[in-house]
Amino acid sequence: MSEVDMAVIKPEMMKSYIWIQTTDGAIQQVEQEVAMFCPMICQEVIQKGMGSSKNCAISLPQRVTPAMLSLILDYCRFHQVAGRSNKERKSFDEKFVRMDTKRLCELTSAADSLQLKPLVDLTSRALARIIEGKTPEEIREIFHLPDDLTEEEKLEPLKNTTDDPRIRLLNRLYAKKRKELKEREKLKDVDAEEEHVDDRSVDDLLSFINGGDGDSKGIKTSKNKKKHRKRKDLQKCAPSNEAIETPKKESNAASSLCHNAEVDHELQSSLSEKLKLQDAAGEIFAPTVEFDDVDIDDEIDPALKEEIDREVEDFARILNSDWPERMQELLSLGQERRLTHLSVNGNGALKGHARPDPGQK
Amino acid sequence: MGDVEDPDLISDLPQSILESILTRLPIRDAVRTSILSSKWRYRWTTLTHLVFDDKCIRMCSDRPVVENCMVNFITRALFLHQGPIHKFQLSTSYLQCCPDIDQWILFLSRSDIKELVLELGEGEWFRVPSCLFNCKKLTCLELFRCEFDPPPTFKGFLCLRSLSLHQVLVAPEAIESLISGCPLLESLALSYFDSLALNIRAPNLKYLCLEGEFTDICLENTPLLVAMSVAMYMNDEMAECFEQSSKCNFIKFLGGVPRLERLAGHIYFTKYLSIGDYPGSLAITYSHLKIIELYQVSFEDMKEIRVVLRLIMNSPNLKELRISGSSTAVASVEAPNLEFWAKECPKDCTFKQLKVVKMTDMSGVPHEMEFMKFLLANSPVLETMSITPCVYVMDGRLNMLIQLVRFRRASAEAEIIFTR
Repeated sequence: MSEVDMAVIKPEMMKSYIWIQTTDGAIQQVEQEVAMFCPMICQEVIQKGMGSSKNCAISLPQRVTPAMLSLILDYCRFHQVAGRSNKERKSFDEKFVRMDTKRLCELTSAADSLQLKPLVDLTSRALARIIEGKTPEEIREIFHLPDDLTEEEKLEPLKNTTDDPRIRLLNRLYAKKRKELKEREKLKDVDAEEEHVDDRSVDDLLSFINGGDGDSKGIKTSKNKKKHRKRKDLQKCAPSNEAIETPKKESNAASSLCHNAEVDHELQSSLSEKLKLQDAAGEIFAPTVEFDDVDIDDEIDPALKEEIDREVEDFARILNSDWPERMQELLSLGQERRLTHLSVNGNGALKGHARPDPGQK
Repeated sequence: MGDVEDPDLISDLPQSILESILTRLPIRDAVRTSILSSKWRYRWTTLTHLVFDDKCIRMCSDRPVVENCMVNFITRALFLHQGPIHKFQLSTSYLQCCPDIDQWILFLSRSDIKELVLELGEGEWFRVPSCLFNCKKLTCLELFRCEFDPPPTFKGFLCLRSLSLHQVLVAPEAIESLISGCPLLESLALSYFDSLALNIRAPNLKYLCLEGEFTDICLENTPLLVAMSVAMYMNDEMAECFEQSSKCNFIKFLGGVPRLERLAGHIYFTKYLSIGDYPGSLAITYSHLKIIELYQVSFEDMKEIRVVLRLIMNSPNLKELRISGSSTAVASVEAPNLEFWAKECPKDCTFKQLKVVKMTDMSGVPHEMEFMKFLLANSPVLETMSITPCVYVMDGRLNMLIQLVRFRRASAEAEIIFTR
């Protein structure tokens, strides 16, 4: 009997433990083979002889919080067992990294301070998978990154939009749709007023910028007439615009690279996302531009307005059906022209107007 | 965007981790991180691994536009890049003989480039600029569809460990001197060469992969070779001119590789080895050779059968043997030289470690059956022998099975698996 007891007790006594102190001061015991899986702990034990008793517990680096420590120990506990197949390890890893992004980042940091390279690689891969294919806004939201780049740097991507009149029409259409939606919302929620105004200005800004790349020869004549009318209204903001224009040109380098890289992204995402990008820019122009929008809308004869609305809806239907392919086409055309007319772009941004031209003069 | 009070989760991770995350992203996504926030603006510019392929720009049907886009993207990326570039890979079919590629390689040669991969798709061969040969720290070079012409003063890449040339136009002497000029070369892969004759002198070579039409290969100095995979294409004229030569290909190829652990021969490899006068005995024993794979062995050619036997009998530690037959539509029942097995074949040969045998594409010709009989009788620790008949053979299968059942087995554990 006693022999059996001894046999049962012995293995437990043989197991050795390492004492570890976490950042909150708490000291705990960890099985030796599990803890030694971490190179940093291994070093402390072997080179400095720490961890053998409560008094000389190994104090962990600051980045290893108690929660992270327990995760890391789970990882080590699984992987230090030699007999596992690659498949098992892989499937454990896949499940292991399914956690929210905040913990994933903390885990990466903790694993790095413990020099546990396999875990760092695993978490880096997971983070890369999270970042891949997402828009900048999504990435900023996930990682709580401050949106602190200047407007010039963000405006650069605009240059990729084409000067094709159909794009302008599209913008106008989407602007209209959004306006309608907002108006409907406004009926339910009175506070939406400010947003409404902002949207308009952004739409207009967009149309201005898109319309003004100055290359669509066919529409130039009709544009000119309207340009003059616009000029009066914009005169007051001309100086401020110039001030903003020049930095835009200077910060070409990195942003135009991003722009090139951005092109595909913008192509795929809806136009409303693009509008979001320019929200900050929109705010600059808000005070001057909103008047113009009101002017134009009031001028439209109601019958004409109906006709326009109908045509725009038809167009919307057509567009919605094959939007991606057509955008590809249009953007590729625009791309060529943009490359040859880079010099013209700079000042043309504000000269455009917001009137749709669906087959009309 | 997020609440201002929420702490930034990721930007404060150590630079090495951020770099490893960015390296795992496609280059386009990595570059796009520059508009995330001010801390990220130039994070991507210190990446040391740059991989450019067709995914880094938006595709469209207009080819010149795509080409232009790609050139712009890569040029600007390199221009904005800071610090050393250790790996550069360009895999695309859209850049045909673009002069910008030369400029990029010039830029890279000044950036301590270590790994260079150029895969430039269909069309004209890309002529590698001479600045490539100034990349002193190159450890890995892979070229696809290029024209390679080293200047006469070029002595070799002193740090090169891995060389892979695929469909590359280069003079044979240039390849030979390139190989011998790279003292640290461990891995060599040459594919799709036309009628190449090669003397390989690479004292550190461990892995060799050859594929193409080689008229004459001699592994002159490759004592450390561990694994070899050869696919030998041969046309009949070459075979004929071989018949006249008396040099033994077997010795030239496998005479100096005592450390070989793994051998894979495809297409006409055994035929190639069978050419030439064999001196009668082999001075070398392949004591490390554990896996032999020989594909498309013609069991109707005595010389090839002898090559196979020679190989396996000089490999005392052979564990796994895979052989595929070269299928003939009509399997003859009669075969010459059948008495070879009874008379000439050594009886006292035992394959002490042979555990797994896989025979595929078997047509059931007499020599194949005799070979299987030979293996079964001399493999005391054999565990499985799996036999897959060739798809053309329908009627002969029963015959094969009948014969198989009769064969004596030296190993009580042996399982014969006949797959349909």
